[in-house]
Amino acid sequence: MTVSPLQGITHACFGLSYLLAFALETARLFWPAAGWRVAALALGTAGAFAHTVYLTVNQPTPAAPYGSLLYLAWVLALFYLYGTVTYARQAWAVFVLPVVIGLVGLSLALITTADNAAPVSLPAWLHGDRFWGAAHGLLLLGAAIGISVGFVASVMYLVQARRVRNKVNPAAVVPMLNLERLEEMARHAVNWSFPLLTAGLLVGTLLLRTDHAAPENWLSVKVLSTAGLWVVFGVLLYLRYATNVPARRLAALQIAAFGLLLVALAASHPFVAGGDR
Amino acid sequence: MNLRAIGCNVGSAPVELRERLAFDADKLARALAELTARYGAEAAVLGTCNRVELYLARPEVGAPVHSPLVAEYLSELHGVPAADIYPHLYEHADDAAVRHLFRVVSGLDSVVVGEDQIAGQVKDAFDVAQRAGATGPLLNVLFPAAARTSKRVRSETGLAQGQSSVASAAVGFLKEVFDRFTDKTVLVIGAGEMGRLTLTHIQEFRPAAVLVTNRSPERAAGLAAECGGAALPWEQLDDGLTRADIVISTTGAPEPIVSRRRYDEKVRPRRGRRKLVVFDLAVPRDFDPRIDDGDRVSVFNVDDLNRVRDQQLAERRRHVAPAEQVVAEEVAAFLTDWNRRKDGPVIGALTEEVGRIREAVLAPLLAKLNGKLTAADKAQIEAAFRLYQNKLLHGPIAALQEASREGHGPGLREALMRLFGLK
Repeated sequence: MTVSPLQGITHACFGLSYLLAFALETARLFWPAAGWRVAALALGTAGAFAHTVYLTVNQPTPAAPYGSLLYLAWVLALFYLYGTVTYARQAWAVFVLPVVIGLVGLSLALITTADNAAPVSLPAWLHGDRFWGAAHGLLLLGAAIGISVGFVASVMYLVQARRVRNKVNPAAVVPMLNLERLEEMARHAVNWSFPLLTAGLLVGTLLLRTDHAAPENWLSVKVLSTAGLWVVFGVLLYLRYATNVPARRLAALQIAAFGLLLVALAASHPFVAGGDR
Repeated sequence: MNLRAIGCNVGSAPVELRERLAFDADKLARALAELTARYGAEAAVLGTCNRVELYLARPEVGAPVHSPLVAEYLSELHGVPAADIYPHLYEHADDAAVRHLFRVVSGLDSVVVGEDQIAGQVKDAFDVAQRAGATGPLLNVLFPAAARTSKRVRSETGLAQGQSSVASAAVGFLKEVFDRFTDKTVLVIGAGEMGRLTLTHIQEFRPAAVLVTNRSPERAAGLAAECGGAALPWEQLDDGLTRADIVISTTGAPEPIVSRRRYDEKVRPRRGRRKLVVFDLAVPRDFDPRIDDGDRVSVFNVDDLNRVRDQQLAERRRHVAPAEQVVAEEVAAFLTDWNRRKDGPVIGALTEEVGRIREAVLAPLLAKLNGKLTAADKAQIEAAFRLYQNKLLHGPIAALQEASREGHGPGLREALMRLFGLK
């Protein structure tokens, strides 16, 4: 049996590519030169390509922490590339790439033997009794993307707000997106995430009820942290639209929500067969 | 090259004289017509608030137009005694004139180093001169080359980066806060000069509305009419603050006109989550600095803006040397190109003339030897004559190119044309 060279792609390929791209982007902040950016973009693109190939070949299940974190990291890697091209002069990669690298690292830390089993082909998730499970996973993945984007926008907002508060000369620092754009980005992230999160949770609740899950499953870390996430987002929506809470506090709350998301993603799933799958 | 750049600037002439030498549209048209007709020169006039300069190019064989002549002409045009003008004029000749224009257009000769308005003003000066038919072979290549130099300096060095004035520093901060301005309302409080200037900068981003308020309703109405805004009664200042996204305040009030308490009680609750940026350019200040909450409201005073401007000007000065290097390269490239343009027709005519002589000698010879030569022999003889021609011309052409590089091109060009009977 011949083995395709693409099957030789490992976490190290894209993880290190992202890491080097991040190092170059950071270097660009201190020693601005066009070369750094081109090299960083090339490495980032190579990393995203390797990441794509890895996911295509191995098809890790998004129901397990390992797979869900890798898929989320992949979407954010594309988000990083989009932002780097669109906001070429802005400090963008230094905020997005650490999240991508962190998610890849966390996925590696949470890999189990089950994750190395033969892949379940993607179409199999789209029909039969697995459909609702896949729908639940996809909805929550969509919400996780929104939460991650909101996290990045909130961190950038706090940094930019600090610069404005200290009246830092805009020409003396690396340009960043303005406060209005960042606030909009964070608001849109919440607006998109909340319905997806709600729908994902509803489907999950129905699945748990249908499977007559044991009471301890309802109290698993994953279920509780996801429900907590929903509550936090409900509060965020309320504060954002119904009150006059300072934007910096909203940003801080959105950052906290991302922490809760990581707990939810890292926790084992209570009702996927095989413990983690 | 027979080029002169003659004029005065902020360093050589007092503002009173520069004001009297200023060109309006009529005088400019008249000057361009008269300079070309009277002196047979290509002409362009650069008039800004900081300088008045004439760029005059004549055929190489003609006498240059010197500054005494220009002083007399300016005296006649503006009605200022020539004796008052002449001591303040500087004159740059040929290569130095090219370098001067390239430095001017790059902002290296400006009061605020690296300012970018001058590039547009030089372009306008050239456009006007060109439309008036006052430009010719030299100015038509000189000014586009100057524009290229300016672009190179701005893109390859940091000379034009950042904010060079209080008004542009204010705009720099605004861009850190707001993404777009077409839905923003600007409130101008007072009618100070710095406020007007800042508003002019902000209006380039086309804000949705401009409100002007002043203790004097007449002054508010006047400024509102001037800037295309709406006057707001002084008593409605709180309403204006509620509606505004950007405030420029330049009153001469001895006490703050917006205290923290007033803002917190009458404005903040009505603004919702909208951001407000206040430029308090008044001394003493018009806004209590504690209104700045580091979140929804940012208050910048004149010291904040001056600090940014000073930092940026200091930063720009670091880029002067690289910018001068770019100018030097562009001057050298321009002179090489110009000399090539001047030498090209002469070299072409010389080659053609000697080629014609070669043909005149070779044709009878080949006719005489007709039938005795093979085709290969004929080709060899033709090649030998061509080689002879090339070797003969190599020396004069190389000497001409070298002379042009060293600035002695016209004399040798003239000599070659006479020696070989070229037209």
